[in-house]
Amino acid sequence: MVNARTDLMQGTLELLILKTLSRDSMHGYGIAQRIRQAADDLLKIEDGSLYPALYRMEARGLITSDWGASENNRRAKFYKLTRAGRKQLDAECVNWERVSQAITRILQTA
Amino acid sequence: MKTVVGRIFRRSDSEENKREIEEELRFHLELLTLEHLQPDVSFAEAKGAALKRFGNIELIKDQCLEISRKSHPLMPAVKFFLILIFLVGVLVRVNSTDRDVIHIGNLLIAVPILCRLLLYVRGLNPSCFFSEHKTSTPLMLNETAQPSFTIYDHRKLTPVERLISEK
Repeated sequence: MVNARTDLMQGTLELLILKTLSRDSMHGYGIAQRIRQAADDLLKIEDGSLYPALYRMEARGLITSDWGASENNRRAKFYKLTRAGRKQLDAECVNWERVSQAITRILQTA
Repeated sequence: MKTVVGRIFRRSDSEENKREIEEELRFHLELLTLEHLQPDVSFAEAKGAALKRFGNIELIKDQCLEISRKSHPLMPAVKFFLILIFLVGVLVRVNSTDRDVIHIGNLLIAVPILCRLLLYVRGLNPSCFFSEHKTSTPLMLNETAQPSFTIYDHRKLTPVERLISEK
């Protein structure tokens, strides 16, 4: 029986958050929804776990947060990318490409 | 600079910080509950499903509080100050022969160690010992979901190939 490893590489969630916030500012629920929709439900996110990641990223200066009004006029905390976050996103994307290319090459040749 | 000053004052009140985290998580949970609410699903069932998808709310809240506390702009200064006191204590302890001064040195060494220990113990999250549902894998592949795109099967013919073969 094949034992499929289903948890993804560390740092992937951070990359997905950075990419999601690259378009516009969003609250936590919006980020989770956008990732789920973009991944076509192929990825399972434990919604709550987004928050420690968001707080860590904010502490590192990759994102900032501000309270604002949501679509249904509720007070919500919106996150947006900083300049450092945008730089980090570019670097992470390049890194992801390299890693995925390397793994694909190994799988094809080995 | 304005942001850093703002963060110092905004985060100085840990109760306020805690309240904001709770409000943020509650907002998310409420929207999740609404998402699960269907004509044939009761509010309690929807809330249960939302809680299940959200994960351990207490643990998440504690983690956020901890990260927020550790990332306080004054924290590096406090750590630096504690290290400085410790080093002064060591210097006093090594260089002096007077018994009273040695006591002061001991005190200067002990105080930062105790403060650091206190910070560490405060940082320990008790809910991680008692929780049954830990949030350890935030992102996983959804094995039950089927991709919306179809993978090309070499054994199957494409519509064009089928037309050609039928002729």
